[in-house]
Amino acid sequence: MRLLILLILTLAAQARTVLVVTADASDFLLAAGGTIASMTARGDTAILLRVTNDEKNSWDLSPDETARRNGLECAEAAKLLGIGKVVSLGYREGELGGVSPTELRDRIMFYIRLHKPDVLFLPNPHAEYVEVLDRHYAGLAAEEASHTAALRNHQPPFAQVGLETHVTRELYYYAQPFDPRRREPESTATFVPQPKVSDIGAMLDRKIRAALALKTINHAVAMRIRDRLESTGRRLPLLDTVNDASVAKLTEINVRTLAGTGAKGTGFQSAEEFHYAGPDFGVPSKFRK
Amino acid sequence: MKLALVWVPLSILAAPLPKVDPPAGKRFLVIQPHHDDHTTDYGMGGLIARLTRMGYEGWFIRASNDEKDGAHGYPHNDMINLRESEAASRILGMKGVYSFNWRNDYMDPTPLLELRAQVILLIRKHRPDIVLGHDPWGHYDRNPDHRKVARACADAVWMAGLRNVHPEHFELGLEPWRVPHQFLKARVDYGRGHEANAAVELSEADVQRKMKAYSAHRNVYASPAMAKSVRAQLAAKGLKAPELDGMTDEQAAVRIEEWHMDWVSRQRGQENGVRYAEIYWYINEFAHLPGLESYIQKNAVKR
Ligand SMILES: [Zn+2]
Repeated sequence: MRLLILLILTLAAQARTVLVVTADASDFLLAAGGTIASMTARGDTAILLRVTNDEKNSWDLSPDETARRNGLECAEAAKLLGIGKVVSLGYREGELGGVSPTELRDRIMFYIRLHKPDVLFLPNPHAEYVEVLDRHYAGLAAEEASHTAALRNHQPPFAQVGLETHVTRELYYYAQPFDPRRREPESTATFVPQPKVSDIGAMLDRKIRAALALKTINHAVAMRIRDRLESTGRRLPLLDTVNDASVAKLTEINVRTLAGTGAKGTGFQSAEEFHYAGPDFGVPSKFRK
Repeated sequence: MKLALVWVPLSILAAPLPKVDPPAGKRFLVIQPHHDDHTTDYGMGGLIARLTRMGYEGWFIRASNDEKDGAHGYPHNDMINLRESEAASRILGMKGVYSFNWRNDYMDPTPLLELRAQVILLIRKHRPDIVLGHDPWGHYDRNPDHRKVARACADAVWMAGLRNVHPEHFELGLEPWRVPHQFLKARVDYGRGHEANAAVELSEADVQRKMKAYSAHRNVYASPAMAKSVRAQLAAKGLKAPELDGMTDEQAAVRIEEWHMDWVSRQRGQENGVRYAEIYWYINEFAHLPGLESYIQKNAVKR
Protein backbone atom coordinates (compact mmCIF):
# COMPACT_ATOMS: atom_id res chain seq x y z
CA MET A 1 0.00 0.00 0.00
CA ARG A 2 2.78 2.37 0.94
CA LEU A 3 4.51 1.48 -2.29
CA LEU A 4 1.36 2.21 -4.25
CA ILE A 5 1.00 5.62 -2.59
CA LEU A 6 4.64 6.32 -3.32
CA LEU A 7 4.10 5.34 -6.94
CA ILE A 8 1.06 7.59 -7.23
CA LEU A 9 2.96 10.45 -5.61
CA THR A 10 5.90 9.94 -7.97
CA LEU A 11 3.62 9.91 -10.98
CA ALA A 12 1.76 12.97 -9.74
CA ALA A 13 5.06 14.73 -9.26
CA GLN A 14 5.94 13.96 -12.85
CA ALA A 15 2.51 14.83 -14.21
CA ARG A 16 2.99 17.14 -17.10
CA THR A 17 0.94 19.81 -18.81
CA VAL A 18 0.20 19.02 -22.45
CA LEU A 19 -1.03 21.69 -24.85
CA VAL A 20 -2.52 20.43 -28.11
CA VAL A 21 -2.89 22.88 -30.99
CA THR A 22 -5.25 21.81 -33.76
CA ALA A 23 -6.58 23.63 -36.79
CA ASP A 24 -9.86 21.74 -36.74
CA ALA A 25 -11.92 19.28 -34.78
CA SER A 26 -10.62 16.09 -36.35
CA ASP A 27 -6.94 16.48 -37.24
CA PHE A 28 -5.40 16.25 -33.75
CA LEU A 29 -7.58 13.25 -32.99
CA LEU A 30 -6.85 11.25 -36.12
CA ALA A 31 -3.11 12.03 -36.13
CA ALA A 32 -2.29 12.11 -32.41
CA GLY A 33 -5.35 11.08 -30.35
CA GLY A 34 -3.90 7.79 -29.10
CA THR A 35 -0.67 9.37 -27.88
CA ILE A 36 -2.52 12.20 -26.16
CA ALA A 37 -4.82 9.65 -24.49
CA SER A 38 -1.86 7.66 -23.21
CA MET A 39 -0.44 10.82 -21.64
CA THR A 40 -3.68 11.79 -19.90
CA ALA A 41 -4.05 8.16 -18.76
CA ARG A 42 -0.76 8.45 -16.90
CA GLY A 43 -1.88 11.62 -15.16
CA ASP A 44 -0.88 14.43 -17.48
CA THR A 45 -3.18 17.43 -17.80
CA ALA A 46 -4.12 18.22 -21.40
CA ILE A 47 -5.63 21.34 -22.95
CA LEU A 48 -6.86 21.58 -26.54
CA LEU A 49 -6.45 24.81 -28.49
CA ARG A 50 -8.72 24.63 -31.54
CA VAL A 51 -7.99 27.34 -34.05
CA THR A 52 -11.05 27.32 -36.34
CA ASN A 53 -14.80 26.91 -35.89
CA ASP A 54 -15.26 24.04 -38.37
CA GLU A 55 -18.34 25.86 -39.63
CA LYS A 56 -18.02 24.44 -43.16
CA ASN A 57 -17.50 20.79 -42.36
CA SER A 58 -20.92 19.16 -42.58
CA TRP A 59 -22.90 17.58 -45.36
CA ASP A 60 -25.91 19.90 -45.51
CA LEU A 61 -26.14 21.99 -42.36
CA SER A 62 -25.97 25.78 -42.18
CA PRO A 63 -22.67 27.32 -41.05
CA ASP A 64 -24.23 28.22 -37.66
CA GLU A 65 -25.51 24.74 -37.01
CA THR A 66 -22.32 23.13 -38.34
CA ALA A 67 -20.16 25.25 -36.04
CA ARG A 68 -22.41 24.56 -33.05
CA ARG A 69 -22.44 20.80 -33.51
CA ASN A 70 -18.76 20.48 -34.38
CA GLY A 71 -17.89 22.56 -31.32
CA LEU A 72 -19.89 20.31 -29.01
CA GLU A 73 -18.69 17.12 -30.66
CA CYS A 74 -15.06 18.22 -30.58
CA ALA A 75 -15.40 18.93 -26.85
CA GLU A 76 -16.91 15.47 -26.34
CA ALA A 77 -14.12 13.79 -28.34
CA ALA A 78 -11.49 15.71 -26.37
CA LYS A 79 -13.10 14.63 -23.11
CA LEU A 80 -12.95 11.00 -24.20
CA LEU A 81 -9.20 11.42 -24.77
CA GLY A 82 -8.87 12.78 -21.25
CA ILE A 83 -8.39 16.38 -22.34
CA GLY A 84 -9.67 18.57 -19.51
CA LYS A 85 -10.24 21.83 -21.32
CA VAL A 86 -10.95 23.01 -24.87
CA VAL A 87 -10.27 26.57 -25.97
CA SER A 88 -11.48 27.77 -29.37
CA LEU A 89 -9.81 30.69 -31.09
CA GLY A 90 -12.84 31.10 -33.35
CA TYR A 91 -11.26 31.60 -36.77
CA ARG A 92 -13.25 30.66 -39.84
CA GLU A 93 -12.50 27.29 -41.31
CA GLY A 94 -10.48 27.30 -44.52
CA GLU A 95 -9.55 30.94 -44.10
CA LEU A 96 -6.32 30.80 -42.08
CA GLY A 97 -4.45 31.58 -45.31
CA GLY A 98 -5.93 35.05 -45.02
CA VAL A 99 -5.11 35.56 -41.34
CA SER A 100 -2.00 37.43 -40.22
CA PRO A 101 0.50 34.71 -39.27
CA THR A 102 1.85 36.94 -36.50
CA GLU A 103 -1.60 37.48 -35.02
CA LEU A 104 -2.22 33.75 -34.95
CA ARG A 105 1.26 33.06 -33.57
CA ASP A 106 0.84 35.54 -30.75
CA ARG A 107 -2.56 34.18 -29.75
CA ILE A 108 -1.07 30.69 -29.50
CA MET A 109 1.92 32.14 -27.65
CA PHE A 110 -0.51 33.65 -25.13
CA TYR A 111 -1.78 30.18 -24.26
CA ILE A 112 1.73 28.74 -24.12
CA ARG A 113 2.74 31.37 -21.59
CA LEU A 114 -0.54 30.95 -19.71
CA HIS A 115 -0.43 27.18 -19.35
CA LYS A 116 3.35 26.66 -19.49
CA PRO A 117 3.10 23.26 -21.13
CA ASP A 118 5.81 20.63 -20.80
CA VAL A 119 4.62 19.08 -24.03
CA LEU A 120 3.22 20.78 -27.12
CA PHE A 121 1.41 18.95 -29.92
CA LEU A 122 1.28 20.94 -33.14
CA PRO A 123 0.26 20.22 -36.73
CA ASN A 124 3.47 19.61 -38.68
CA PRO A 125 3.70 22.55 -41.09
CA HIS A 126 6.48 20.76 -42.99
CA ALA A 127 4.38 17.69 -43.75
CA GLU A 128 3.72 17.75 -47.48
CA TYR A 129 0.57 16.97 -49.44
CA VAL A 130 -1.69 17.75 -46.48
CA GLU A 131 -4.93 18.70 -48.16
CA VAL A 132 -6.31 21.05 -45.52
CA LEU A 133 -3.95 24.02 -45.58
CA ASP A 134 -5.41 25.43 -42.34
CA ARG A 135 -3.31 22.71 -40.72
CA HIS A 136 -0.20 24.05 -42.39
CA TYR A 137 -0.88 27.66 -41.34
CA ALA A 138 -1.83 26.68 -37.79
CA GLY A 139 1.32 24.54 -37.60
CA LEU A 140 3.57 27.38 -38.77
CA ALA A 141 2.04 29.70 -36.19
CA ALA A 142 2.34 27.14 -33.39
CA GLU A 143 5.93 26.33 -34.30
CA GLU A 144 6.87 30.00 -34.17
CA ALA A 145 4.89 30.48 -30.97
CA SER A 146 6.78 27.69 -29.25
CA HIS A 147 9.92 29.68 -30.00
CA THR A 148 8.72 33.22 -29.26
CA ALA A 149 7.03 32.14 -26.02
CA ALA A 150 10.54 31.81 -24.63
CA LEU A 151 11.74 35.22 -25.78
CA ARG A 152 11.28 38.18 -23.45
CA ASN A 153 11.17 40.79 -26.19
CA HIS A 154 8.17 39.27 -27.88
CA GLN A 155 4.87 40.85 -26.86
CA PRO A 156 6.18 42.96 -23.93
CA PRO A 157 2.59 43.57 -22.71
CA PHE A 158 2.26 39.87 -21.93
CA ALA A 159 4.94 40.19 -19.25
CA GLN A 160 3.05 43.19 -17.80
CA VAL A 161 0.07 40.95 -17.06
CA GLY A 162 2.08 38.12 -15.61
CA LEU A 163 2.56 35.97 -18.68
CA GLU A 164 6.20 35.10 -18.22
CA THR A 165 8.40 33.49 -20.85
CA HIS A 166 8.25 29.75 -21.14
CA VAL A 167 10.32 27.04 -22.80
CA THR A 168 8.34 23.99 -23.93
CA ARG A 169 10.60 21.00 -23.55
CA GLU A 170 8.92 18.49 -25.80
CA LEU A 171 7.35 19.09 -29.21
CA TYR A 172 5.28 16.53 -31.08
CA TYR A 173 4.72 17.55 -34.71
CA TYR A 174 1.80 15.52 -35.97
CA ALA A 175 0.18 14.93 -39.37
CA GLN A 176 -1.95 12.30 -41.01
CA PRO A 177 0.16 10.14 -43.35
CA PHE A 178 0.11 12.14 -46.59
CA ASP A 179 3.80 12.90 -46.88
CA PRO A 180 5.70 10.10 -48.66
CA ARG A 181 8.93 11.26 -46.98
CA ARG A 182 7.51 11.54 -43.47
CA ARG A 183 9.71 8.72 -42.11
CA GLU A 184 12.95 10.15 -43.48
CA PRO A 185 15.25 11.60 -40.82
CA GLU A 186 15.72 15.33 -40.73
CA SER A 187 19.22 16.67 -40.66
CA THR A 188 20.05 20.05 -39.21
CA ALA A 189 22.80 21.13 -36.87
CA THR A 190 20.61 22.61 -34.18
CA PHE A 191 16.88 22.13 -34.22
CA VAL A 192 16.24 18.50 -34.96
CA PRO A 193 12.72 17.12 -34.66
CA GLN A 194 13.18 13.52 -35.78
CA PRO A 195 10.70 10.86 -36.82
CA LYS A 196 9.23 9.05 -33.82
CA VAL A 197 6.58 6.38 -33.68
CA SER A 198 4.38 6.04 -30.64
CA ASP A 199 2.68 2.76 -29.71
CA ILE A 200 -1.04 3.36 -29.18
CA GLY A 201 -2.16 -0.27 -28.90
CA ALA A 202 -3.53 0.22 -25.38
CA MET A 203 -5.36 3.38 -26.40
CA LEU A 204 -6.82 2.37 -29.75
CA ASP A 205 -10.31 1.65 -28.42
CA ARG A 206 -10.36 4.96 -26.66
CA LYS A 207 -9.23 6.73 -29.81
CA ILE A 208 -12.01 5.05 -31.78
CA ARG A 209 -14.61 6.09 -29.17
CA ALA A 210 -13.36 9.65 -29.37
CA ALA A 211 -13.46 9.63 -33.18
CA LEU A 212 -17.06 8.37 -33.06
CA ALA A 213 -18.02 11.50 -31.15
CA LEU A 214 -17.32 13.62 -34.25
CA LYS A 215 -20.70 12.67 -35.68
CA THR A 216 -21.22 15.65 -37.98
CA ILE A 217 -17.81 15.38 -39.63
CA ASN A 218 -17.99 11.58 -39.90
CA HIS A 219 -21.43 11.82 -41.52
CA ALA A 220 -20.10 14.38 -44.01
CA VAL A 221 -17.16 12.11 -44.89
CA ALA A 222 -19.54 9.20 -45.52
CA MET A 223 -21.90 11.29 -47.64
CA ARG A 224 -19.08 12.69 -49.74
CA ILE A 225 -17.74 9.21 -50.44
CA ARG A 226 -21.21 7.98 -51.34
CA ASP A 227 -21.88 11.01 -53.52
CA ARG A 228 -18.61 10.62 -55.43
CA LEU A 229 -19.17 6.91 -56.01
CA GLU A 230 -22.79 7.44 -57.03
CA SER A 231 -21.87 10.11 -59.58
CA THR A 232 -19.52 7.61 -61.24
CA GLY A 233 -21.86 4.62 -61.21
CA ARG A 234 -20.40 2.92 -58.14
CA ARG A 235 -21.49 2.14 -54.60
CA LEU A 236 -19.92 1.06 -51.34
CA PRO A 237 -22.17 -1.62 -49.82
CA LEU A 238 -21.39 -0.32 -46.31
CA LEU A 239 -22.89 3.05 -47.28
CA ASP A 240 -26.03 1.83 -49.04
CA THR A 241 -27.74 3.17 -45.95
CA VAL A 242 -25.95 6.05 -44.31
CA ASN A 243 -26.99 5.93 -40.68
CA ASP A 244 -25.30 6.06 -37.27
CA ALA A 245 -24.21 2.43 -37.53
CA SER A 246 -22.67 2.60 -41.01
CA VAL A 247 -20.96 5.93 -40.30
CA ALA A 248 -19.56 4.49 -37.07
CA LYS A 249 -18.24 1.45 -38.93
CA LEU A 250 -16.58 3.68 -41.54
CA THR A 251 -15.03 5.82 -38.80
CA GLU A 252 -13.67 2.77 -37.04
CA ILE A 253 -12.12 1.48 -40.28
CA ASN A 254 -10.52 4.90 -40.75
CA VAL A 255 -8.95 4.99 -37.27
CA ARG A 256 -7.80 1.37 -37.40
CA THR A 257 -6.25 1.78 -40.85
CA LEU A 258 -4.43 4.95 -39.81
CA ALA A 259 -3.10 3.12 -36.74
CA GLY A 260 -1.91 0.27 -38.95
CA THR A 261 -0.19 2.71 -41.33
CA GLY A 262 1.54 4.37 -38.38
CA ALA A 263 2.73 0.99 -37.11
CA LYS A 264 4.05 -0.23 -40.46
CA GLY A 265 7.59 -1.52 -40.12
CA THR A 266 7.81 -0.85 -36.37
CA GLY A 267 6.70 -4.10 -34.70
CA PHE A 268 3.75 -2.33 -33.07
CA GLN A 269 0.18 -3.23 -33.97
CA SER A 270 -1.15 0.31 -33.75
CA ALA A 271 0.85 3.49 -33.74
CA GLU A 272 1.02 7.18 -34.54
CA GLU A 273 3.85 8.92 -36.35
CA PHE A 274 5.41 12.19 -35.30
CA HIS A 275 8.38 14.40 -35.73
CA TYR A 276 9.61 14.82 -32.19
CA ALA A 277 11.95 17.27 -30.52
CA GLY A 278 12.80 16.31 -26.94
CA PRO A 279 14.42 18.21 -24.07
CA ASP A 280 17.86 18.18 -25.71
CA PHE A 281 16.76 19.80 -28.95
CA GLY A 282 17.86 23.17 -27.64
CA VAL A 283 21.47 22.00 -27.58
CA PRO A 284 23.12 21.88 -30.99
CA SER A 285 23.85 18.26 -31.87
CA LYS A 286 27.58 18.99 -32.25
CA PHE A 287 27.76 19.90 -28.53
CA ARG A 288 25.60 17.10 -27.19
CA LYS A 289 28.33 14.47 -26.84
CA MET B 1 22.24 14.67 -85.76
CA LYS B 2 20.12 15.54 -82.78
CA LEU B 3 21.20 18.04 -80.21
CA ALA B 4 20.59 17.22 -76.59
CA LEU B 5 20.40 20.57 -74.83
CA VAL B 6 20.62 19.28 -71.30
CA TRP B 7 19.22 21.90 -68.97
CA VAL B 8 17.05 19.36 -67.22
CA PRO B 9 19.37 17.44 -64.85
CA LEU B 10 19.11 13.67 -64.67
CA SER B 11 18.14 13.65 -61.03
CA ILE B 12 15.01 11.64 -61.62
CA LEU B 13 14.50 8.46 -59.62
CA ALA B 14 16.03 5.38 -61.15
CA ALA B 15 13.08 3.04 -60.55
CA PRO B 16 10.22 3.38 -63.03
CA LEU B 17 7.17 5.14 -61.68
CA PRO B 18 3.75 3.50 -61.71
CA LYS B 19 2.05 4.27 -65.01
CA VAL B 20 -1.23 6.09 -64.57
CA ASP B 21 -3.83 6.37 -67.31
CA PRO B 22 -5.90 9.52 -67.07
CA PRO B 23 -9.31 8.58 -65.66
CA ALA B 24 -12.33 8.72 -67.91
CA GLY B 25 -14.19 12.00 -67.69
CA LYS B 26 -15.55 14.98 -69.56
CA ARG B 27 -13.76 18.16 -68.57
CA PHE B 28 -10.46 19.36 -67.20
CA LEU B 29 -9.03 22.69 -66.08
CA VAL B 30 -5.40 23.70 -66.19
CA ILE B 31 -4.71 26.35 -63.55
CA GLN B 32 -1.35 28.10 -63.69
CA PRO B 33 0.04 31.55 -63.08
CA HIS B 34 1.63 32.15 -66.47
CA HIS B 35 0.83 31.97 -70.16
CA ASP B 36 3.32 29.15 -70.80
CA ASP B 37 3.14 27.02 -67.64
CA HIS B 38 0.95 24.49 -69.43
CA THR B 39 3.43 24.00 -72.25
CA THR B 40 6.98 24.39 -70.88
CA ASP B 41 9.49 21.56 -70.61
CA TYR B 42 8.46 20.91 -67.01
CA GLY B 43 4.88 21.47 -68.05
CA MET B 44 2.00 19.38 -69.15
CA GLY B 45 1.41 19.75 -72.88
CA GLY B 46 1.61 16.03 -73.53
CA LEU B 47 -1.00 15.11 -70.95
CA ILE B 48 -3.27 17.91 -72.18
CA ALA B 49 -2.95 16.60 -75.74
CA ARG B 50 -3.73 13.10 -74.51
CA LEU B 51 -6.82 14.28 -72.62
CA THR B 52 -8.27 16.22 -75.56
CA ARG B 53 -7.52 13.20 -77.76
CA MET B 54 -9.62 11.15 -75.29
CA GLY B 55 -12.53 13.57 -75.88
CA TYR B 56 -12.05 15.77 -72.83
CA GLU B 57 -13.05 19.45 -72.96
CA GLY B 58 -10.27 21.59 -71.47
CA TRP B 59 -9.84 25.19 -70.37
CA PHE B 60 -6.71 27.04 -69.32
CA ILE B 61 -6.68 29.58 -66.48
CA ARG B 62 -3.83 32.08 -66.59
CA ALA B 63 -3.80 33.78 -63.19
CA SER B 64 -1.28 36.55 -63.87
CA ASN B 65 -1.02 39.10 -66.69
CA ASP B 66 2.49 38.07 -67.80
CA GLU B 67 3.43 41.70 -68.27
CA LYS B 68 7.09 41.06 -67.42
CA ASP B 69 7.72 38.07 -69.67
CA GLY B 70 9.12 39.24 -73.01
CA ALA B 71 10.87 42.23 -74.47
CA HIS B 72 7.93 44.38 -75.57
CA GLY B 73 7.05 46.36 -72.45
CA TYR B 74 4.38 45.58 -69.89
CA PRO B 75 1.08 46.09 -71.75
CA HIS B 76 2.36 44.58 -74.97
CA ASN B 77 3.85 41.54 -73.24
CA ASP B 78 0.51 40.96 -71.53
CA MET B 79 -1.43 41.00 -74.81
CA ILE B 80 1.13 39.12 -76.90
CA ASN B 81 1.57 36.42 -74.26
CA LEU B 82 -2.19 36.00 -73.90
CA ARG B 83 -2.61 35.66 -77.66
CA GLU B 84 0.20 33.11 -77.86
CA SER B 85 -1.21 31.24 -74.89
CA GLU B 86 -4.55 31.00 -76.68
CA ALA B 87 -2.79 29.70 -79.79
CA ALA B 88 -0.83 27.12 -77.77
CA SER B 89 -4.00 26.00 -76.01
CA ARG B 90 -5.78 25.59 -79.35
CA ILE B 91 -2.89 23.47 -80.67
CA LEU B 92 -3.37 21.21 -77.62
CA GLY B 93 -7.08 20.97 -78.39
CA MET B 94 -8.33 23.13 -75.53
CA LYS B 95 -11.43 25.31 -75.74
CA GLY B 96 -9.98 28.56 -74.46
CA VAL B 97 -8.15 30.65 -71.90
CA TYR B 98 -9.40 32.61 -68.90
CA SER B 99 -7.07 35.32 -67.69
CA PHE B 100 -7.36 36.65 -64.15
CA ASN B 101 -4.78 39.34 -64.89
CA TRP B 102 -3.15 39.53 -61.47
CA ARG B 103 0.11 41.45 -61.58
CA ASN B 104 2.85 39.21 -62.94
CA ASP B 105 5.60 38.19 -60.50
CA TYR B 106 3.95 40.34 -57.81
CA MET B 107 1.46 37.76 -56.59
CA ASP B 108 2.84 37.38 -53.07
CA PRO B 109 0.53 40.15 -51.83
CA THR B 110 -2.39 38.91 -53.94
CA PRO B 111 -5.14 38.07 -51.45
CA LEU B 112 -5.17 34.28 -51.31
CA LEU B 113 -8.86 34.01 -50.52
CA GLU B 114 -9.85 36.28 -53.43
CA LEU B 115 -7.78 34.31 -55.89
CA ARG B 116 -9.18 31.09 -54.47
CA ALA B 117 -12.74 32.39 -54.84
CA GLN B 118 -12.11 32.98 -58.55
CA VAL B 119 -10.86 29.43 -58.97
CA ILE B 120 -13.76 27.99 -56.96
CA LEU B 121 -16.25 29.84 -59.18
CA LEU B 122 -14.76 28.37 -62.37
CA ILE B 123 -14.48 24.91 -60.83
CA ARG B 124 -18.19 25.05 -60.04
CA LYS B 125 -18.97 26.34 -63.55
CA HIS B 126 -16.96 23.65 -65.37
CA ARG B 127 -17.14 20.77 -62.85
CA PRO B 128 -13.78 19.34 -63.98
CA ASP B 129 -12.95 15.67 -63.45
CA ILE B 130 -9.27 16.62 -63.49
CA VAL B 131 -7.31 19.69 -62.52
CA LEU B 132 -3.77 20.09 -63.78
CA GLY B 133 -1.70 22.52 -61.79
CA HIS B 134 1.44 23.41 -59.93
CA ASP B 135 2.60 21.36 -56.96
CA PRO B 136 2.19 23.54 -53.84
CA TRP B 137 4.82 21.45 -52.03
CA GLY B 138 7.62 21.87 -54.57
CA HIS B 139 10.78 23.23 -52.99
CA TYR B 140 12.91 26.17 -54.10
CA ASP B 141 10.39 27.71 -56.47
CA ARG B 142 11.61 31.27 -56.67
CA ASN B 143 8.50 32.57 -58.36
CA PRO B 144 5.86 33.99 -55.99
CA ASP B 145 3.10 33.47 -58.57
CA HIS B 146 3.72 29.73 -58.66
CA ARG B 147 3.52 29.46 -54.90
CA LYS B 148 0.40 31.61 -54.60
CA VAL B 149 -1.58 30.00 -57.41
CA ALA B 150 -0.61 26.49 -56.28
CA ARG B 151 -1.80 27.25 -52.75
CA ALA B 152 -5.06 28.77 -53.95
CA CYS B 153 -5.75 25.75 -56.16
CA ALA B 154 -4.86 23.24 -53.46
CA ASP B 155 -7.66 24.75 -51.37
CA ALA B 156 -10.07 25.37 -54.20
CA VAL B 157 -10.20 21.82 -55.54
CA TRP B 158 -11.85 20.48 -52.39
CA MET B 159 -13.46 23.59 -50.94
CA ALA B 160 -15.50 24.05 -54.14
CA GLY B 161 -17.32 20.92 -52.97
CA LEU B 162 -18.54 22.44 -49.70
CA ARG B 163 -21.96 24.02 -49.52
CA ASN B 164 -20.89 26.53 -46.86
CA VAL B 165 -18.12 27.92 -49.07
CA HIS B 166 -19.16 30.91 -51.22
CA PRO B 167 -22.88 30.14 -51.05
CA GLU B 168 -23.46 33.19 -53.29
CA HIS B 169 -22.44 31.00 -56.25
CA PHE B 170 -25.56 28.90 -55.78
CA GLU B 171 -27.70 31.93 -56.71
CA LEU B 172 -26.43 31.32 -60.25
CA GLY B 173 -27.69 27.75 -60.28
CA LEU B 174 -24.19 26.38 -59.71
CA GLU B 175 -23.70 23.43 -57.37
CA PRO B 176 -20.83 22.31 -55.11
CA TRP B 177 -18.20 20.28 -56.96
CA ARG B 178 -15.18 18.58 -55.48
CA VAL B 179 -12.43 17.95 -58.07
CA PRO B 180 -11.67 14.23 -57.91
CA HIS B 181 -8.30 14.01 -59.70
CA GLN B 182 -5.22 16.22 -59.81
CA PHE B 183 -2.01 16.03 -61.81
CA LEU B 184 0.60 18.36 -60.36
CA LYS B 185 3.93 19.51 -61.74
CA ALA B 186 6.77 21.54 -60.36
CA ARG B 187 9.98 22.69 -61.96
CA VAL B 188 12.03 19.55 -62.34
CA ASP B 189 15.28 21.45 -62.01
CA TYR B 190 14.43 22.80 -58.54
CA GLY B 191 15.60 20.26 -55.98
CA ARG B 192 13.90 17.25 -54.52
CA GLY B 193 10.79 18.94 -53.18
CA HIS B 194 8.65 17.65 -55.97
CA GLU B 195 8.94 13.94 -56.48
CA ALA B 196 6.70 12.44 -59.08
CA ASN B 197 4.57 9.43 -58.15
CA ALA B 198 3.17 8.66 -61.60
CA ALA B 199 4.20 8.51 -65.24
CA VAL B 200 1.69 9.24 -68.00
CA GLU B 201 2.45 7.63 -71.33
CA LEU B 202 2.20 9.85 -74.41
CA SER B 203 1.71 8.97 -78.06
CA GLU B 204 3.96 10.37 -80.77
CA ALA B 205 1.07 12.61 -81.86
CA ASP B 206 0.73 13.94 -78.30
CA VAL B 207 4.42 14.83 -78.30
CA GLN B 208 4.14 16.50 -81.72
CA ARG B 209 1.32 18.72 -80.44
CA LYS B 210 3.25 19.43 -77.27
CA MET B 211 6.25 20.55 -79.36
CA LYS B 212 4.11 22.79 -81.56
CA ALA B 213 2.28 24.30 -78.58
CA TYR B 214 5.55 25.12 -76.87
CA SER B 215 6.94 26.91 -79.89
CA ALA B 216 3.77 28.97 -80.17
CA HIS B 217 5.19 31.11 -77.34
CA ARG B 218 7.46 33.06 -79.71
CA ASN B 219 7.56 36.08 -77.43
CA VAL B 220 9.58 34.17 -74.85
CA TYR B 221 11.02 31.10 -76.56
CA ALA B 222 12.77 30.24 -79.79
CA SER B 223 14.94 33.33 -79.73
CA PRO B 224 16.98 33.66 -82.95
CA ALA B 225 19.95 34.73 -80.79
CA MET B 226 19.89 31.29 -79.13
CA ALA B 227 20.03 29.54 -82.53
CA LYS B 228 22.86 31.82 -83.63
CA SER B 229 24.81 30.98 -80.50
CA VAL B 230 24.22 27.23 -80.83
CA ARG B 231 25.43 27.35 -84.44
CA ALA B 232 28.50 29.36 -83.41
CA GLN B 233 29.36 26.90 -80.66
CA LEU B 234 29.06 23.96 -83.03
CA ALA B 235 31.16 25.72 -85.68
CA ALA B 236 33.88 26.39 -83.10
CA LYS B 237 34.17 22.62 -82.70
CA GLY B 238 34.07 22.03 -86.45
CA LEU B 239 30.52 20.64 -86.22
CA LYS B 240 27.15 21.55 -87.66
CA ALA B 241 23.58 20.34 -87.42
CA PRO B 242 22.57 19.36 -91.00
CA GLU B 243 18.86 19.55 -90.15
CA LEU B 244 19.26 23.28 -89.59
CA ASP B 245 20.85 23.87 -93.00
CA GLY B 246 19.03 26.50 -95.02
CA MET B 247 16.98 27.68 -92.05
CA THR B 248 16.94 31.24 -90.77
CA ASP B 249 18.01 31.67 -87.14
CA GLU B 250 14.34 32.12 -86.28
CA GLN B 251 13.34 28.83 -87.93
CA ALA B 252 16.35 27.06 -86.45
CA ALA B 253 15.45 28.30 -82.97
CA VAL B 254 11.98 26.79 -83.24
CA ARG B 255 13.47 23.51 -84.43
CA ILE B 256 15.97 23.41 -81.55
CA GLU B 257 13.23 24.08 -78.99
CA GLU B 258 11.18 21.26 -80.53
CA TRP B 259 14.12 18.89 -80.23
CA HIS B 260 14.37 19.73 -76.58
CA MET B 261 10.69 19.00 -75.99
CA ASP B 262 11.02 15.74 -77.90
CA TRP B 263 14.13 14.84 -75.88
CA VAL B 264 12.46 15.59 -72.54
CA SER B 265 9.47 13.43 -73.44
CA ARG B 266 11.72 10.58 -74.63
CA GLN B 267 13.89 10.86 -71.53
CA ARG B 268 10.89 10.56 -69.20
CA GLY B 269 9.61 7.69 -71.33
CA GLN B 270 12.94 5.86 -71.19
CA GLU B 271 13.08 6.18 -67.41
CA ASN B 272 9.63 4.67 -67.16
CA GLY B 273 9.71 1.89 -69.71
CA VAL B 274 7.73 3.54 -72.51
CA ARG B 275 8.65 5.60 -75.55
CA TYR B 276 7.30 8.97 -74.40
CA ALA B 277 6.08 10.11 -71.00
CA GLU B 278 5.51 12.98 -68.62
CA ILE B 279 5.73 12.60 -64.86
CA TYR B 280 3.44 14.03 -62.21
CA TRP B 281 2.40 14.05 -58.61
CA TYR B 282 -0.97 12.43 -59.09
CA ILE B 283 -3.71 12.73 -56.46
CA ASN B 284 -6.62 10.37 -56.95
CA GLU B 285 -10.23 10.78 -55.91
CA PHE B 286 -9.83 9.30 -52.41
CA ALA B 287 -6.18 10.10 -51.62
CA HIS B 288 -7.39 12.75 -49.16
CA LEU B 289 -8.68 9.93 -46.93
CA PRO B 290 -5.50 7.97 -46.11
CA GLY B 291 -7.37 5.78 -43.64
CA LEU B 292 -10.17 4.90 -46.07
CA GLU B 293 -8.69 4.98 -49.56
CA SER B 294 -7.68 1.33 -49.68
CA TYR B 295 -10.98 0.19 -48.16
CA ILE B 296 -12.97 2.12 -50.75
CA GLN B 297 -10.84 0.90 -53.67
CA LYS B 298 -11.25 -2.67 -52.46
CA ASN B 299 -14.95 -2.63 -51.65
CA ALA B 300 -16.60 -0.24 -54.10
CA VAL B 301 -18.69 -2.05 -56.71
CA LYS B 302 -20.61 -1.09 -59.83
CA ARG B 303 -24.17 -0.01 -59.15
ZN1 LIG C 1 5.30 30.08 -64.56
